[in-house]
Amino acid sequence: MAINLSKGQKIDIGLSKISVGLGWNPNEGTGNDFDLDASAFMIDNNRLIPGEGYFVFYGNTTSPDEALHHTGDDPTGGNSADGDDETIRVDLSKVNADIKEILFVVTIHDAATRRQNFGQVRNSYIRIVDDASGEEIAKYELGEDFSVETGVEFGRLYQRDGKWRFEASGIGYKEDLAYFLSKYYKGQIIK
Amino acid sequence: MAINLVKGQTIDLRKNDKGESFDLSTVTIGLGWDVRKKSGGFFGKLLGGKEEEFDLDAIAFLLDKNGKVADLGKTVQTNDGRNLSLYQGDVIFFNSQRHPSGNIWLTGDNRTGAGDGDDEQIIVKLDSLDAKYEKILFIVSVYQGRQRNQHFGGIENAFIRAVDNSGKEIAKFNLSGDASYNNMCSLVFAEVYRNNGTWKFRALGDPQPADSFVEILRNYVY
Repeated sequence: MAINLSKGQKIDIGLSKISVGLGWNPNEGTGNDFDLDASAFMIDNNRLIPGEGYFVFYGNTTSPDEALHHTGDDPTGGNSADGDDETIRVDLSKVNADIKEILFVVTIHDAATRRQNFGQVRNSYIRIVDDASGEEIAKYELGEDFSVETGVEFGRLYQRDGKWRFEASGIGYKEDLAYFLSKYYKGQIIK
Repeated sequence: MAINLVKGQTIDLRKNDKGESFDLSTVTIGLGWDVRKKSGGFFGKLLGGKEEEFDLDAIAFLLDKNGKVADLGKTVQTNDGRNLSLYQGDVIFFNSQRHPSGNIWLTGDNRTGAGDGDDEQIIVKLDSLDAKYEKILFIVSVYQGRQRNQHFGGIENAFIRAVDNSGKEIAKFNLSGDASYNNMCSLVFAEVYRNNGTWKFRALGDPQPADSFVEILRNYVY
């Protein structure tokens, strides 16, 4: 059963393998495809990614510690009719000890030039699932909750007392992926 | 859209027109520069001022799993009695323009920079390349730069770029007009490398004083 989290709600993750899934319906009307992207930042004590490889997205599908694996880009939403179109699989037992937090975001690629926002995309959601049971831990309906936005900070996995917890943040932005990346990366970003 | 890179760490968020990342089944490294008019003004031209020729060369090293060039080719003698080394090995350059596999080649040696666009190209069919090659390093050098007292600081409109299979420009470095390139005769431009069964492109942009790629090659031999 889907649990729609309220903002700031925290959940204990007593699990090692979870998935973050992003799903949406392709554009059936005219105009550009809807290209939603799921991405993850693996953040250290300095609130930065310790290297380029710790930003997992369509251009870098596996983190150096192999804890995160992105199943690959879906530029249209056509990968799956009902299920996830993009998935980031997480094995918490493999996470590099320097990583204190894993932040998940969803953005619309090229939203500014295509004049798109989540409100136009049908059946779009991001969710976090326990791989062992298949149970949904948390889910946001993007089109309903963030209709005028183009980027959403979904939530973060973080360590507390040696245990991983998930905190849903659900903060919408009228920004792109480069905006989120610039918060956690000081190198050059090519847009 | 041309992306002018600076040296250092970068993350590339671009996708191609189909919304995908770059199609690296084939990658083309293009090198271009302009013939330089020698300074000296009106009277200098009247008095026989001539164009100063710059000869830039594109070079590729095919590296194995240890990051080394395994096959340095052989030495052959030309008709006029000169010895040419590194022939038909894993280094692609002006004296050995086509790899024996046929999957990577240099389109020719332009010695003056005449013509617009790419003056020299190295084309690589990455999807056909033998599995023993893990990485390819691309370098540009000013031929006999020290002897001729030439370096990137004195070249006009020089660039090196990489283009993917669909014709989309992946990265481009301007080689001129930057003080940090003064007295630099080589640039380690970029590398492509295998990653999870596909190829990845990484811009390096590392200028070096060496005017012969052989000096750089020394770091990559067994």
